[in-house]
Amino acid sequence: MVFNSLTFIAFFLIVLALHSLPLSWRFKKFNLLFASYLFYAAWNPPFVILLWISTIVDWYAVQMLVKSEKPAARRAWMVLSVIVNLGMLAYFKYGGFLLENFAVLMDGAGIAYTPPDWNIVLPVGISFYTFATLSYTLDVYLRRAQPARSFLDYALFVTFFPHLVAGPIMRPTELVPQFAQARSTSGDQIRFGLALMTLGLFQKIVLADGFLAQPAETVFDAAAMPGALDAWIGTLAFSGQIFCDFAGYSTTAIGAAMCLGFAMPDNFRFPYAAVGFSDFWRRWHITLSSWLRDYLYIPLGGNRLGVARTYFALMTTMLLGGLWHGANWTFVVWGGLHGIYLAVERALRDRYRGYRPGPLALFLLGLLTYTLINITWVFFRAPSFSRAAEMLTGMFGGNNAAMPLLPMVDLVMVSLIVAAIVSTHWLMRDRTLESAVARIPGWCLAIAWGLMAFAIVIAQGAGSAFIYFQF
Amino acid sequence: MPVRPWGPILLGAAVLFVFLLVLWESHWRAFGAVPGYRNSDGAWAEQRRRLDAEAHDGTVLLGSSRVLFDVQLDVWEGISGTAPIQLALEGTSPLAFLEDLAADPDFHGDVLVGVTPGLFFSGREIRGDVLAYTRDQGPSQRSGHWLSKTFIEPHLAFNDPDFALDVVVSRLAWPERSGLRTFPPVRKLSIQGPARNTRMWHKLEVDADYRALVQAGWMSRLAQPPPHMNTPEKAQPIIDAQIARAVAAVATLRARGVPVVFLRAPSIGPLYAAEERDLPRARTWDLLLQRTGAPGIHFMDHSELQGFAQPEWSHLAADEADRFTAALQPIVARSFEQLRDR
Repeated sequence: MVFNSLTFIAFFLIVLALHSLPLSWRFKKFNLLFASYLFYAAWNPPFVILLWISTIVDWYAVQMLVKSEKPAARRAWMVLSVIVNLGMLAYFKYGGFLLENFAVLMDGAGIAYTPPDWNIVLPVGISFYTFATLSYTLDVYLRRAQPARSFLDYALFVTFFPHLVAGPIMRPTELVPQFAQARSTSGDQIRFGLALMTLGLFQKIVLADGFLAQPAETVFDAAAMPGALDAWIGTLAFSGQIFCDFAGYSTTAIGAAMCLGFAMPDNFRFPYAAVGFSDFWRRWHITLSSWLRDYLYIPLGGNRLGVARTYFALMTTMLLGGLWHGANWTFVVWGGLHGIYLAVERALRDRYRGYRPGPLALFLLGLLTYTLINITWVFFRAPSFSRAAEMLTGMFGGNNAAMPLLPMVDLVMVSLIVAAIVSTHWLMRDRTLESAVARIPGWCLAIAWGLMAFAIVIAQGAGSAFIYFQF
Repeated sequence: MPVRPWGPILLGAAVLFVFLLVLWESHWRAFGAVPGYRNSDGAWAEQRRRLDAEAHDGTVLLGSSRVLFDVQLDVWEGISGTAPIQLALEGTSPLAFLEDLAADPDFHGDVLVGVTPGLFFSGREIRGDVLAYTRDQGPSQRSGHWLSKTFIEPHLAFNDPDFALDVVVSRLAWPERSGLRTFPPVRKLSIQGPARNTRMWHKLEVDADYRALVQAGWMSRLAQPPPHMNTPEKAQPIIDAQIARAVAAVATLRARGVPVVFLRAPSIGPLYAAEERDLPRARTWDLLLQRTGAPGIHFMDHSELQGFAQPEWSHLAADEADRFTAALQPIVARSFEQLRDR
């Protein structure tokens, strides 16, 4: 089920009520585990089986890995876990993509090959829970973490509904210990958790779905060429939409977990105030970028094996990171662009090692970063390379004869909302939400909370899925 | 977690929230809105599933908004003893739904298919994805529909897509953008019941300004035919393709003993004139009946189906829909009987 639905509200109230009863910790964990399977099955019940397979295979692989004394045996159990997890991901997410590309290759070689229909439904959140379970096996294999002592704690780590389908991507060391010890939740924790959930749902329902999704769709999915203004507004609308959609999900998830007494890591830290791309990736989808750093970039050599190897590791990581987002070459190009940006930034930092920008230069570099990120969003959102090319041509003034696509209301609302988002990110650049909340007068918080809740209700969201569910 | 007086903050937020909500609800009630059920995909899916769950062998209504507004289920039930299942969808050609019934070997009811020329013969489908939605609807979507239908829709007047925040904002007096062709939005026209029985919203009958707004909306859309159908040469292949779909579906249903009757519900004034100008009866309706071999009820052929009040030219006023249904049902029943006797 999605957070922005009546079903979730009813579900969450029941879970919260059961979790607040004076029952044993073990019962509460069973309650959360059952609720999490229910949460997942509410989309498509058979796919719970995949969760079970992933959970059980990794649990036993790690048990055997720990018991094995020979390095080869340890490695074999680790490889088994990786193959099962990545195999499921490859089959469900990349099967059709691989077949299509194989057919193109065959065609290029002059061999007629028609791939079979690949009408496989993508299980929601498979990319997220696959990465979570993989991190468990790899952390234990690399001796960074102890294996979970209880199967219940481990199964709950994989399945815990706030992070299950769209992150934050949790590590076992972050969550399993929280399940091991009985935790109580204070009234203030629940109230702050509810405030976070309201903020997250406001971002998703009011901003992303209510005002930004439609202009982005109008421009990106139109058959007509976009002019400069429409292409930029459409792209800015998507930059705002994807942030509000995904950060909204993460904030709601963190709030839901907090209501239940669990802490989850930040997934976004005001990314549109980033200066440079390494800064951006420390602020955007933080749990994915740290996962890619720890399990891909560093094992590929990181920056320890010379300049050439560093750039190779960087590009490979970002290309695969792009592919993780979706089985389409446009996502690979999106990742590749970020890889190039990161590589150029690294080269410039090496060249101008002592440079410290002043306030104006910092702002201009931030603006440049945001502009270049918008270029990457074109590939992320465009349904095809040809549409991406049309969008970029429009953005750089190549479609002067294009007819307008967006009405005035969209031009004004997108400009206002995106300007508000970017300004807020700059104001909050070196702060956290918690530190800001600690300084704002209580009556201001009450008004903001009440207004956001009111806007959520009158926006009458249609319960649309979050964008990252498809990844 | 920041240390703040979260109890009073929550209380203040809740008071403000309730106050604003009461204000918002009062505003829309003063505007004339009353609570009603949403014409959602979930509501349509619920009715479509009744065909499977109840092995329904009564009448199924397909079509566009005219069948939705003009055929009153309770009046029909009062005459025939059984309420039909309402599957008509606004702004949408019924052909995909006729094909869906044709593909369902367990369906053995009667089918009345509304024909709104601009939709039926162009194949336009604003709500065409509802079939896929019904097929893929997950448990959480079903329960969400049930919760909404039980706890929210019967009680809140502002719970209507026409009063959603972004729609209200878009209706403010924004300057026109030069070169952009826009149509006035289709406004709220109806109130719906739990089984998708739909009646014209009272405001259209009593508020001349609102009525003029809706009329202007229709005329802006019908001022000229769509570019891909603006000459007979361009339009006819599209019309023929839609009729061919109907021919195939009707043949499949007829082979199973399912009677299908077409209905051209009334439209009047400039709207009727525009429909006849762009899609004249001889090139559309007459061909449809001739090629499908199915009977059709055209309002111009039946004096008892004419002369109703249609405030915005396209749909019948609420009370008029009762009278229309009472006049229509016996004609439809006779047509079904004749088909069964063949």
